[in-house]
Amino acid sequence: MRLHNLLTMALMAFPVPAGAENDITVVSWGGVYEAAQRQAIFDPFTAATGITVETETYSGGVDALRTRSAEAGWDVIDMIEDQAIRACDAGLLTEIDAGEIAPDSARKDFLPGSFRPCSVAQNVYATVFAYDDRAFLGEKPVSIADFFDLERFPGKRALLRDPDVILEWALMAEGVPIGQVYDLLSTDRGLRLAFRKLETLRGSILWWKEVGTPAAMLADGRAVMASGYNGRFFSAAQEEGFPITIVWDGHVVSTDVWAIPSGTEREKAAKRFIRFATAPERMAALAELIPYGPTRRSALSRIGLHRESGVPMRDRLPNSPQHESRALYGDTVWYARTRALRKRRFEAWLQGE
Amino acid sequence: MTGPEPDPTPTTGSAAYRIVVMTVSALTIGLCVSLAAIAFVDLVFWLNNVLLVSPRTRVQVDGMPWLIIAATLLVPVIGGLLVGTLIARFSPEKRPLGPPDVIRAVQLAQTPPGVRAGLVSTLASVISLGFGASVGQYGPLVYLGAMMGNLPSRLNLRIPNFPAIAMACGVAAAISTAFNAPIAGLVFAHEVILRHYSMQAFAPTTVAAATGYVVANVMFEREPLFLVQFDGVAYGYEFMLFAVLGLLASIVAIAFMRLTLRSAAFAASTPIRPALRPAVAGLAVGLTALWLPDVMGVGREALRFATIEGAFLTWELALLVVAKIALTALCVGFGFAGGVFSPALLIGILFGALCWMLLDATGAIATSGIVAYAICGMMAVTSAVIGAPLTTILIVFELTRNYDLTIAAMVAVVFSNLVVYRVFGRSLFDVQLARRGIDLSAGRDRAWLSTQRVSGLSSTTFDRCSPRDRAYAVLARTHRNEVFALDTEGRLEGIVDTRSLADDPSTRIASVMAPPNLHFDETTTLPDAMRMLEGFVGDTIPIIDTTSERMTGVVKETAVIRAYLDAIDGLRREENAPA
Repeated sequence: MRLHNLLTMALMAFPVPAGAENDITVVSWGGVYEAAQRQAIFDPFTAATGITVETETYSGGVDALRTRSAEAGWDVIDMIEDQAIRACDAGLLTEIDAGEIAPDSARKDFLPGSFRPCSVAQNVYATVFAYDDRAFLGEKPVSIADFFDLERFPGKRALLRDPDVILEWALMAEGVPIGQVYDLLSTDRGLRLAFRKLETLRGSILWWKEVGTPAAMLADGRAVMASGYNGRFFSAAQEEGFPITIVWDGHVVSTDVWAIPSGTEREKAAKRFIRFATAPERMAALAELIPYGPTRRSALSRIGLHRESGVPMRDRLPNSPQHESRALYGDTVWYARTRALRKRRFEAWLQGE
Repeated sequence: MTGPEPDPTPTTGSAAYRIVVMTVSALTIGLCVSLAAIAFVDLVFWLNNVLLVSPRTRVQVDGMPWLIIAATLLVPVIGGLLVGTLIARFSPEKRPLGPPDVIRAVQLAQTPPGVRAGLVSTLASVISLGFGASVGQYGPLVYLGAMMGNLPSRLNLRIPNFPAIAMACGVAAAISTAFNAPIAGLVFAHEVILRHYSMQAFAPTTVAAATGYVVANVMFEREPLFLVQFDGVAYGYEFMLFAVLGLLASIVAIAFMRLTLRSAAFAASTPIRPALRPAVAGLAVGLTALWLPDVMGVGREALRFATIEGAFLTWELALLVVAKIALTALCVGFGFAGGVFSPALLIGILFGALCWMLLDATGAIATSGIVAYAICGMMAVTSAVIGAPLTTILIVFELTRNYDLTIAAMVAVVFSNLVVYRVFGRSLFDVQLARRGIDLSAGRDRAWLSTQRVSGLSSTTFDRCSPRDRAYAVLARTHRNEVFALDTEGRLEGIVDTRSLADDPSTRIASVMAPPNLHFDETTTLPDAMRMLEGFVGDTIPIIDTTSERMTGVVKETAVIRAYLDAIDGLRREENAPA
């Protein structure tokens, strides 16, 4: 399975030439996530409309839109919401009128704030940390404070080389209640405190960049704990059988959106695709393959068991009720507007290595 | 003149009627006050965000440092101008209102300032807090609660003590909602506002506090003010340290209160017009905030940081304690509308953290961490400032749900209060009231009695004569035992016992009259009169106006005693009233 993933990713790295009129190019994140999307959305879309979906893979960020979009003829892109907000501010995305995607009555079915000028929310995912069961035979990590506890839980930590999430976790590990994390992280004092906590992990961090890497690092024993997206860890554990356990504490719940790069020549087909992809049955179908929560309330009740392992998927979603009390709901506007500052401070901290 | 409540028996309904009306009123007041309190807090929050007072929005304009500087300097100044103009132009009282006004209205059974003054004051405090002045939100919320609680008193519900209890209900609901702490709300209403326990008052305030809690928690799911993790007090000797911390905190509390009072006196002595004074304080806040952004507004972030080890350096804590004390005193004294409760919380928690840092730096003693000391400091300072030790202990309990921490705070609170009570007074509110002539330090009965003047009991019908009159002429005109000899200006020369005149009808009054050994004037209060009546022989006491020196009337000794007993009885009835 993993080999298959790697092959897929390798193939995706080659730009697909702008296809015929009946093609659209959808940009996604590769791996198990994209495979689930193909099964739940892309193929049914082709069956329903006759429009073929070509896919390209990227690893997030706004820059990809600047460097690759026009050349490769991107039509629809799967983005993290705060990155979409920044891309929208920078004029890299086409504006989407909410009415073109869902009629007024259906829009109430979406979670609040799902429609932004250039994007439509499609699923919610969580950045969680997971650990390798084999590394801790006795006591297991249960809280975000344990992630920073090298004494009780020694070993390498795999982290995204990015200021998102890790600073929030650092403050939570200092005992800051989840509801106040953004307030405190907005102050200089809060940032200093977070980096001071992060400093305690210096030397024990393995940085990752590709979204599939953290699960792989746990699987092959390079790291004992890793940050990553809940769906990836789920797949590694349920589908590939690796002894990986997700800790639902302090997980940061974020929103994934559909957006349309500006300059697409197939805007109409792109909107038709988004309309199709945000129907409740498509959202539910995706959630049965990979535990990313739907952004429509009516989709939640349609979700059944995982198609392969038979695990009830509603319990595994980031927005399922039992994970609610310890979840940090990402403030996407805050993320978008503070990105430069946090990035600057993060790079400065990295320089200290 | 009446007691705190006129004799209730003839006008009240049945017990069932009273209980039903009281409960429904408490529910309604609780619901309305709670919603108003949430609206108040949300409005302040929104203003803080829009005006770049809150760090969470400031950080989002990180790319525009000039905007942050401009906002930091201008927002509090503009807020000051708005507040100054609002109070000077539209408030009949010409000052912001707060807990002292509620205490006065309840304790002395007086009508509180009008609704218009209350609304203007509330709006002014929303602006003060929203524009980042260093003042607190609980004082204005307490007033808002009392103001709304007083509205049903306009209906004649025929329930004794209704206005006081209804205002207490409003206060209980406001505190319960704002702190998410219903027990503290209930106790605050008794400890600070009502100052006695009776079932009649206890039941409705409980209902109101519970209603506030339900609205805040169940309907709106508000986050509590703070949450802390604390594993318990590790060493027994630390309770000694908490007591010492309480003693040190009392010094901070006294300094804070003295400075606040002095700042108000200083403001009054400056040539700056009252409408412009808040802007001056605003400028000081803005200038300080350029270097110390933590001083602006309520300071929720700083409150949290104080419980995290190493978030502040020692000198930063010391500087912030001093800056926050000075700026709050300046803001309150110079007429920003707002309380001292939240600043006291912040000053106290920073001071507690500072003490722990200093202690920890010595390395001499092992402690159970910064949290306990920060919380103890917070509550020790706050309880002394607002004069509510029980309330603050309960706030700790309800907010942290941590028994160990509550016991620790209790020790610090009691020692702080002991000192402050002796050296300064029961609370800042009480001292402010004392400066307005209402002294609650000898108990609520004495304070209330002291507002009752004997001149209200006087009668202007008395028999008078001239010292030059002959006895028979006087006897022909009167059937009373006492006649007052006045000169041509109406000044009292002497008192004549008519029973002794019959012996020598031709004698002149001047030769038989006795000099007046006792008189009251228009300022004589009931307790004064009772004291002066000791050893008095006679029926009536003359009342002499202090400015004109003329005799204006008489008051019967029995009337004074009767009024005194009625007043004591009214208070006793209020304090023992059943539901």
